[in-house]
This record gives sequence, structure tokens and C-alpha cells, in this order.
Amino acid sequence: MAASIFGVFDEVTQNKIISSKVLVVGAGGIGCELLKNLVLSGFPDIEIIDLDTIDVSNLNRQFLFRKEHVGKSKAQVAKESALHFNPDAKITAYHDSIMSSDYDLEFFKKFDLVMNALDNRVARNHVNRMCLAADKPLIESGTAGYLGQVSVIKKTVTECYECQPQAAQKTFPGCTIRNTPSEPIHCIVWAKHLFNQLFGEDDPDQDVSPDTADPELAGEAGKAALESEAKADAAGGIKRKSTQAWAMETGYNAEKLFNKFFRDDIKYLLSMEALWKKRKPPVPLDWNNLPQDVPATTHQVAICDQRLWSVQECADVFAKSLSSLKEELIKQGEGGMLVWDKDDDPAMDFVTSAANIRAHIFGIPSKTRFDVKSMAGNIIPAIATTNAIIAGLIVMEGLKVLREEFDKCKAVFLNRQPNSRKKLLVPCQLEKPNPKCYVCAPKPEVTVILNTHKITVKVLEEKIIKGGLGMVAPDVEIDDGKGTILISSEEGETEENTEKFLEQFGINNGVRLKCDDFLQNYNLTIIIYHRDKLEEDKEFQIIGDVSEIQAKYLEDKENEDKQPNGLTEKQATEAATAVEDEDEVMLVEEEEIQQITVSKKRKHDEEPEVVNGDTVKKQRLISDVAEHYDDIIS
Amino acid sequence: MAEQITITEDEAALYDRQIRLWGLDAQRRLRASRVLLIGLRGLGAEVAKNIVLAGIKSLTLLDHTVVTEEDACSQFLVPRQDVGKNRAESSLHRVQQLNPMVDVQADISNVGDKPDDYFLNFDVVCATCCTLTLLHRIDEICAAHKIKFFAGDVFGFYGYMFADLGFHEYAEDVQKTKAKENIGEGEPATKKAKIEELETHVVKKSATFTRLSNAFEFDWGTTEGAKKLKRTPNTFFIIQVLLQFMEKFSRRPEVKTLLEDRQALEELTPGVLEKIGLKSDYISPEFARSCFAELSPVCAIVGGVLGQEIIKAVSQKDRPHRNFFFFNGIDGSGLVDQIGD
Repeated sequence: MAASIFGVFDEVTQNKIISSKVLVVGAGGIGCELLKNLVLSGFPDIEIIDLDTIDVSNLNRQFLFRKEHVGKSKAQVAKESALHFNPDAKITAYHDSIMSSDYDLEFFKKFDLVMNALDNRVARNHVNRMCLAADKPLIESGTAGYLGQVSVIKKTVTECYECQPQAAQKTFPGCTIRNTPSEPIHCIVWAKHLFNQLFGEDDPDQDVSPDTADPELAGEAGKAALESEAKADAAGGIKRKSTQAWAMETGYNAEKLFNKFFRDDIKYLLSMEALWKKRKPPVPLDWNNLPQDVPATTHQVAICDQRLWSVQECADVFAKSLSSLKEELIKQGEGGMLVWDKDDDPAMDFVTSAANIRAHIFGIPSKTRFDVKSMAGNIIPAIATTNAIIAGLIVMEGLKVLREEFDKCKAVFLNRQPNSRKKLLVPCQLEKPNPKCYVCAPKPEVTVILNTHKITVKVLEEKIIKGGLGMVAPDVEIDDGKGTILISSEEGETEENTEKFLEQFGINNGVRLKCDDFLQNYNLTIIIYHRDKLEEDKEFQIIGDVSEIQAKYLEDKENEDKQPNGLTEKQATEAATAVEDEDEVMLVEEEEIQQITVSKKRKHDEEPEVVNGDTVKKQRLISDVAEHYDDIIS
Repeated sequence: MAEQITITEDEAALYDRQIRLWGLDAQRRLRASRVLLIGLRGLGAEVAKNIVLAGIKSLTLLDHTVVTEEDACSQFLVPRQDVGKNRAESSLHRVQQLNPMVDVQADISNVGDKPDDYFLNFDVVCATCCTLTLLHRIDEICAAHKIKFFAGDVFGFYGYMFADLGFHEYAEDVQKTKAKENIGEGEPATKKAKIEELETHVVKKSATFTRLSNAFEFDWGTTEGAKKLKRTPNTFFIIQVLLQFMEKFSRRPEVKTLLEDRQALEELTPGVLEKIGLKSDYISPEFARSCFAELSPVCAIVGGVLGQEIIKAVSQKDRPHRNFFFFNGIDGSGLVDQIGD
């Protein structure tokens, strides 16, 4: 153990390590490597937490696990394996979620340093808040394929994880999914929605039927379709009840389901003529008359998942997966439902077949099961080497944190190729905290734009306060001088409020809501900004920086005064340029990293290929200016 | 040969996350490659872990030395109680456990005693913990027989890797913006903007590498050398002093002789620098305070880069780093540099 051997570290570092207590959040790709580095470096007291169990696809990089460990707790097995490297280390393992109330402020206060080795934004946001509340330094990290990053978060000294707005998850307009798909991904998203409609939770945002509210159908063009909607409803009698209830009644009959989704719905779409004036119209398929001339991959392919299926094969898989999924659902009993999982074979088969049948209908290239799994499961490829490098960098930053040399701490990026200054590892100056951050500012405030006549208390709680603002168990009162309680974290206390609209509580433009999350020790004031209609038909919009909303409001005003499409040529050019300069944002959730921002602009300057975490573009630019050739190289 | 190897369904499941990154062809080539790893200290352990997990065909662990107390800083493949036992043999069990599909062997003989044709049994030779003289010899043998050669070492906070792939051909993904004319035609402008996407093309490229001796014997005193020097990582010269120490004393600097080794390094430095045309004080002797044992995080970083370069070389996928990577844990820099040609 390095810290117990004199002469490896300087004395200060050695003593800091020997007396430290650290927390590792996550025992996956980065977590395994990190735990190894920590015990070998001589960290004497380590706690590690992970709610996950071991899967066979982890074994190519999570080297503390072996085949016989599949299905067991990651944290527990990681602990046992790492103890072989250093039997003197004290390791405490928790097979649990870090977001559980068991890991409260007192828990976090025990540590000198917290290191995140997480794969999702929700948990990252939560640990960020816990570390701010406990005033403990946090090292944040992530990898995606060949790329990775590490950065340090210290209350009042650096930016926190949520100081910069986080990129929204990539979504597609509902009408593209339901009416006019043009890419394989549109069909895959539709197929996942179909899965949920048939077997999962009913979500009105995931409707799979033709959408008559498509903006393209405005005016005369949509009339025919709107008229025929009534007919279709009467004829099929399908739309009026839930898709799931209807499918259940048919006993998940493959022929009936196939003909509804791939024949009748498509015929209905065809009746919306305006959609097909310039597009290639879809071709309905009939269960009993499937095209036999569409060849599958015939040549030998090494992995059967990498073979393309013919339409007939898709239909066969569709039928087979339907019956397996039906069985699974029945096993769950009354009120049961299935959750789509990329590692569940029937669920994966269902989505692959349904997506490819739809793709065929719309003349979109089909995809192999292997590719559909990547896209539907948002799989981030992951390798041992990148995780090893990032875990090494975490410890290097950790040593500076223990010595409290926060001025020397950096955000470090691992690139695929060295930049023009020869850097494969690119260190960047850490940003100062954003004074308007709705998490780490002294008095956090956030503005939410919504329609108070349309948003219920339930939506406010679930989608906005928990989903959007990352609270776990919020208490919310209206800042009306009376302290009216809108939402209570005590179960059942405010149940009668859930279905009521905000305006029924007198919540209108400018009203302030005081939110308090006891676990996160976090108080946030929400300022309601009422609008009748939001851009792109969003349900709500969260604006961290109030000045942004003022700018936005002015802009909207100007636009209202103009003719539609009445931009001058100059304005149009400016707008186009603005789009070009804007970062192209791609968000990938789940495995290994929560978010990657590939900056288009970056390609023009010195960093040829960069993965950025949410906050980083600015940091990197600053460091590029600040650092001079010679002091980096020599 | 690689083309004939088929990936089984079990392998596809195990290697799923990396096949999604580098593709099936690269995985097949990996599956066919035989690697010799010389030196099983901290850096060697990291390299062994990384390439065995990736799924090469076979790995030979070659080391005649025995486990010491220092190994506890970074050698996670040897059990703690194995101090005094052979490093290669002690590592064998845990390396094999990392991936039962890889054929792993231990060889306890001294690499210096191996005849030239021993190296011909391998597609890749990766040499750690070797003296410069030995590295030069193995590099020449590999170059003469088209074997991919790698060298690397870690000293405390400092580490490096070197690659000589000879004439190396590889495939590289190049991304272009795809203009979508047919499908996007009917889309209204607002939808159209979102359809633009990147398309990946595979481009075949090649690179020629220079010998290790050209890098270590490069004269920095010339005008051309002086110009290059400004942009050459200092870590390169620190490594040269450390390698010179090994040459002179036939051992590495060790914590049990900390003070005298530190002094020896400080005394060696001016001579090493002058010999390659540099001022005797070009690097500060301070480095001698932080170059003992092998730090685990430094091994992880250098071993991660080195492991990935081996994977790139055998899979012939992606542009290799030419020809050095240096990590300096004191200033935090991680730089790739082309030295010697």
C-alpha cells in the first residue's frame, strides 16, 4: 500500500491518505477501477454503494466480477475482490440506492471526500446536492467509449454539477413518431411506445395511433382526415377504449394486432392526404398477405443478432414475442404491467420486429436486432481502458482535494486523439459557482413557465419538482402570507390536492412557491410564470436564470408583432448562423455516462474531438486562453 | 487468418459493449492475437488486465524477478503473501480469472537470456521494467520480423509508453455530414433541420514508425533539436535519467535504498542531459523526490493508454499514437509526442 511505505508520497499526502475516509458512489466500470486504485494507494477506510447487480455484459471491463458472480450485488462483490488486493483496508459495501433516505446529511458528513462513479443524471444531481449540503468535496466523472472526464466540485469554490443548464434528452415531435417517420429511430421509438401501450403503464405522451392534430394538417388539408376520424372511431370502436384493454380482449391475437397497427392505422394515415403530397406514402401490410420478396441477410453472419430479418420473419417474431409477453403479463396478475428492458429477450424481440415492420411500411431501411438494441436501450459502449484512465485521474485529483489545494484542481478530459498541443489528457480550469444557479446559490430561485389552468398539482410534483428539479421528497407551500401547503412529503397529507389545477389555489403569474427537500437539505423558491401557450407545445419550461426569461419574453413580443415567416434576409441569416454555432447536443442516458455534448464549434479550433460534460465548453475555452504553450509543455 | 475466426454467441454477449464500439472485425483480429508481456510489476498488471479483458488469443507473462513489498502499491495480480515468489507465476491465477477464454502462460526465465527467435512466436511484444539496452535489442528483432513492439514503465508519479509498429495499416472512421435529399424532401423546414445527421465512413490509412534508438539518441543540441525541444515534454528527459539509473545499477530505484538512490539520480542527471545535447540543469532534480515505487493511479493511466494502443495495433482499427505517451503526475500532464524522426 503506497501510503504505508515511506518515500512514495510526500509526508503531507501520506498522512492525509492514512487518516482519510472516502465514499465511492457506484461499483460499475469506473467504480471497480477506482476501488482498486484506492486500496492500492493505501486509503484505509472506504465505503462503496451500488444498487445494481452483476450482468454478463459487465464482465469485459468490471474486472472485480467474474461469471460466477452474475446476479450478485456489485458493491458486495467489488468489496470482496478488492480486499484481496489489500486485506488491511476497511471497506463497507451497501447494496442500495444512494437516493434512499438512509444516506442522509449525517451519512455524508462522515467523509473527507466523495467520488461519483455513476451512470445517470438523477443520482448525480442528488449526490451533488448532498455534498453541497454537507459541504464535502465531490469528484465527478464519466466515460463514453474512448472518451472520459473528471472534475472537482467544492461548495462556494467551484461550479456545482447543476450550475449550467443540463441538455434536455433528445426527443422527437409526436407527429413524426405517430404520422411521418423518416428514420429508423422514429420507428424504434414508436415500437417502444407500442410496447408500453400494450403491456406497460398508460402514458398519454406515448400514443401510437395517427395524430390528427399534426400542424401540417392545419386548414383545408386536414379536413378529410378529421371527418374520417369519426368514421374510423365508429367503425373500429378501438380508439374509445384503451389500447391495452382492447388487446387484452383479443387475447393479444397477433393477426388482429398486426392488422390494426400495420394495416388499418396506416390506411387511416393515408387518408390524411396533406401529409403525403411531397412524401412517399406508407404502404399498409396485411397479416395474410405479407410480401415474400423482401430478402433477409442471406450470407453467413457471425452473430445472429447482426442479421437483418425479412418482413415475414419480423411478423413471426412479432407473434412469438407477443405471446411470451402476454404470459409474462398474466403471471403478474390483476393490475400488473411490464417495464421495457433491453436485456429482456421477448421485449427486445417485440421492439425489433415492430420497428422493422413499420420501417418497411414507410420505406425506411430496417435495422438488425443488435443495432435496435443500441438505439432503443441507449447503450453507451464501454471499455476497460477508458475506465482505468479515468479512475486513475480521479485519484490524482483526489490527492489534491485531500491536501485542500482546490486552486490546483482541474477538470480533465480524455480525448481520442491528442490535440494540437499534444495533449491526450486536457486539463481545464474549474469554473466559479454560477451566482444564479438554482441549486448552489445562497438563495436558490428558479422560474417555471407553465399554464396554471392546465397543470395539476400532481404534474407539478412529479414532472416539475421531482423530474425536472431533482427533488426526492418535496414539501411545497405557497408564499401567500398564509403558508398554504400545496404538497406535503408526508404520505396522504395533501392527496386531495393532486388532481386540482394550480389556478384553483390562486397560483397565477408571479406567484412564488417555497419548496423544501428535507433529505437534500435544499430550499428552492419557484417563481411561476404563466403563459397560455408554450413554445413547441411543451407542458412546462424550467428557466434557471431569470434574465433569460426577460430576454425570451421580449423576443416573443417582437415575434408576435411580425408576420409569420416575416424575417428579413439578414435576420434569417443571423438565425441560421446562430443555429450553426450552437452546440449540437446529444444526450445519452443510462450506462456509464449521463450526457455528452459534442461541440460542433470545437471542430474548428484546437480540440479536434471532445466530449464535454454539461458544463464544460466554457471552461475549456477559458483554459485554452489562459494556458500558454510553454508552461504546458515544460 | 483473423477472418476465419468466428465469434461465438457467448463471446458476443461478453464483449457486447466493446463490439458496439470497435466492431466485429476488430474483435476478430483481437481474438487472433498472441501477446508477450515482459515485466509484471504495477504497469504490467494494468496492461495484462486491459488486454485480457478485451479478449486476445493468448498472453505470455515473462518475468524472472520476485515479488517485493513495493508491489503492494500497484501490483494487484499477486497475492499479498507471495513476497519472494516469482512475479509471473504469482500473477498467473488472477490473470486467468479475468477471462477464461484467453490462453495465459507464465514464463519465469530472464528475457535477457531469450534467443532472438523466441520473440517470433508473438504478434505483439510489450516490454516493461527493461533496461534501454534490452529495449533496443527487442525493438530491432521485432522491427525485422514485423512484430508490433511496445515499451513502457512507471516510476512513482511518472510514466511513459512507446510504440514501434513499423509500417502500420489501419482503418479509421471519418464522419461526414450526410445530406438527406430523398427522405427529407417532403419535410417542412422545421422538421428538415433535425434530419441532418453524421454519416460514418471507414477510411484506410497507414503510418510508419521509427526505432526506439532514434528517439533516445536524438541530438537536442542541433538547431533543429533546439526548435523541437521547446515542445517536447520534460517527462521524456526524466524517464531517460531513470533508464540510465537502471542501466548503471542493473536495478530500479527502490524505497529501501531511498536516500542513496535519490542522490544517485541527482548526480546522474547532468551527465545524461549533456550527452543528448542539453544543458546540465535542463530539468530540475526535484523529480527524484517522487519517482519511487509505482503509484497505482499512474499505472492505471499509463496502462490504460498502453493497453488501448495494443488493442488498436492488433485490431488495426483507429489511428495509433505516434510514438510516445508521457504522464507526469506532478503537473498532471498527459502528452503524446513524436520523437526520433
